[in-house]
Amino acid sequence: MDNAIGITNLTKDFGAIRALDSLNLSVESGEIFGLIGPNGAGKTTALRIISALLLPTSGSVEVFGLDVVKKPAEVRKIISYLPEEAGAYRNLSGWEYLHFMAKFKTDSKDEIQRIVNDAAEISGLGERLKDKAKTYSKGMKRRLLVARALMTKPKLAILDEPGSGLDVLHAYHVREIIKKYVKDYGVTVLLSSHNMLEVEHLCGRVALLNKGKTVAEGKPRELKEKFASANLEEVFAKVVGLA
Amino acid sequence: MLKGFGNILVKELKELIRDPKILLGMIIVPLIMFPVLGAVMNFSMQSAQEQAQKATILVMNNDRGSYSQVFIATLNSSMRVFISNYTDPQDVVNQDELSKYNTTQLIEIPPDFSANMTQHMSGNENITALVKIYSVFSSAGVFEGIGSSMIDVFIGGFNRQLAPNIVYEEKSSIIKGQIKEGVDPGQLSALMISQAIAMPITIMILLTYSMQIAATSVAMEKEEKTLETLLTLPVDRFSILMGKLSGSIVVAGVAAIAYMIGFNYYMGSFTSTFQAGTSLDLVSLGLVPSLFGYLFLGISLFVALLSALAMAVILSAFAEDVRSAQSLVSYIYPFLFIPSFILMYVDINALPLAVKVALYAIPYSHPIIASRAVTMGDYWTAVWGIVYVSIFTLVIMYVASRLFATEKVLTAKLKFRGLRKRGKKAVQDLE
Ligand SMILES: Nc1ncnc2c1ncn2[C@@H]1O[C@H](COP(=O)(O)OP(=O)(O)O)[C@@H](O)[C@H]1O
Ligand SMILES: [Mg+2]
Repeated sequence: MDNAIGITNLTKDFGAIRALDSLNLSVESGEIFGLIGPNGAGKTTALRIISALLLPTSGSVEVFGLDVVKKPAEVRKIISYLPEEAGAYRNLSGWEYLHFMAKFKTDSKDEIQRIVNDAAEISGLGERLKDKAKTYSKGMKRRLLVARALMTKPKLAILDEPGSGLDVLHAYHVREIIKKYVKDYGVTVLLSSHNMLEVEHLCGRVALLNKGKTVAEGKPRELKEKFASANLEEVFAKVVGLA
Repeated sequence: MLKGFGNILVKELKELIRDPKILLGMIIVPLIMFPVLGAVMNFSMQSAQEQAQKATILVMNNDRGSYSQVFIATLNSSMRVFISNYTDPQDVVNQDELSKYNTTQLIEIPPDFSANMTQHMSGNENITALVKIYSVFSSAGVFEGIGSSMIDVFIGGFNRQLAPNIVYEEKSSIIKGQIKEGVDPGQLSALMISQAIAMPITIMILLTYSMQIAATSVAMEKEEKTLETLLTLPVDRFSILMGKLSGSIVVAGVAAIAYMIGFNYYMGSFTSTFQAGTSLDLVSLGLVPSLFGYLFLGISLFVALLSALAMAVILSAFAEDVRSAQSLVSYIYPFLFIPSFILMYVDINALPLAVKVALYAIPYSHPIIASRAVTMGDYWTAVWGIVYVSIFTLVIMYVASRLFATEKVLTAKLKFRGLRKRGKKAVQDLE
């Protein structure tokens, strides 16, 4: 398996705040990799740098061999990014939103239609897709956006807290969809979550982030064994020295 | 090159046109604005008339008789009178006599004036005495016609004292140094009012609207948290910027047309009284810009529009939501309103040097200056304006595209907040 993401000594400062501190990480192609950690650990910052939204202060990030600083346009072609806090265009319907997004992927009308149909299925919004996005609930918006991120079957999907704002049932549905897209279409997924239980069910490998540094990395089962813990939450508490 | 531009433009238009805030602005604002404008105009019309009481006038007396002396003496009691040594009005114009005496009005008393007066006074009432009035028409502002209407008032008073209808006037206009016989400057200026006011107003509205719209479209992306997604799409950032600018231009253009329709209704009530029975043809008088003129005017307006939009985009990139973006942008409005209102009523060349320089420095005055200049056939003023505003626009556009190309467009607001926090912290440290 080749390398989907390679992060070397990544540091990011916002003024006096060091959000990432010499982070090293590698994600293999075809896996679901989870970045976990408490609020403010630097997960969003890391994902934004990988998505070529922010520039690193130092260090390097490669996505399928493409440097995100030197080739941001190339990177954008193969990734799809779901921000942590995101909305849809208020005055566009769900359909229009999906069409708008699909048109960046291809010019072919048939393919756009196929992509949008896939998204409709992922979102499970059905007839409500005809309504303007401003009439959607928070959860409905999130499902629309998750669908948007996966519908193009990108090489790499970067999902920042994909399950946030979803009820148990929809969160489960989204996890199943993510697994399916990885298995059937070879999508690589890098996601973040502060919900460590959710991640345990979904991710092949995880990295525990604290204060901008990786404090542990590996398969959830191995980490639990290594730290003699019942779940990842306990692992985390032990690693950062709380327990 | 601009891949994805069309897609973004269509989305922008849908978003903007369906936004109730923007539609509201297109209908509510004109309803308030036009009555206010009418009041302002009436007020300044009055004050201008008062000013004209002390008007200066140049008299060219070709009459040897005594009645012309009486006429001039009476004139002297209500206006400042200068006597010209020339005998042909065209000479006066050619020698620039009028500007030497700082006036725009010339009265020619023909050689038969006293003879006709005498005839009339001795009972031959069919014979009347003629004076010819020549008024410079410079397309400078709304009050063009006031000088000549003061003369109307004077002659009316003169006749009341001597005999009804004894003196009658024949009005001509001096346009671009040419005497146009029989063209009444009062009627002409009534016609030009719509142009003198309509142009600055339309430009003002077009610019403020499109700035408002551009600011909204950027800030809406932030407020609704759609910007982050947009910036990770495989589309050139410059296309995103251009899509936003173009969407704003289109919607603002529609708004401007709507305004012009409303404005024409409003102006109709002013001008219809003058226009009845008038057969003035502005085109044949050379008072409508040529094709070239329109071209320059269009370019001038376009570059000013671009600079205003790019400015709005930059400012709104620092705002967290639509409301604060709009208030940030409104800081630019004085730079739009002040030149428009000044230029509506005054000719730029009549202003003190410092004010003139200030007006020329503001890019948004240039379309208005250009609209005057091209009407009077002065293309160079328009061209220099275009060159200046283009350079200004390029700089602003460059800044805007840099802003969009980097992470700043996303983090600017946080920095803003960070600054405030830092400020607070400094205050706390002091305490
Ligand atoms: N644009 C920004 N400007 C200033 N500080 C920021 C910015 N983004 C993130 N931070 C700071 O960086 C740190 C990491 O934040 P973030 O990556 O959002 O964490 P997480 O996603 O793990 O909750 C936090 O301390 C946060 O305040
Ligand atoms: Mg986060």
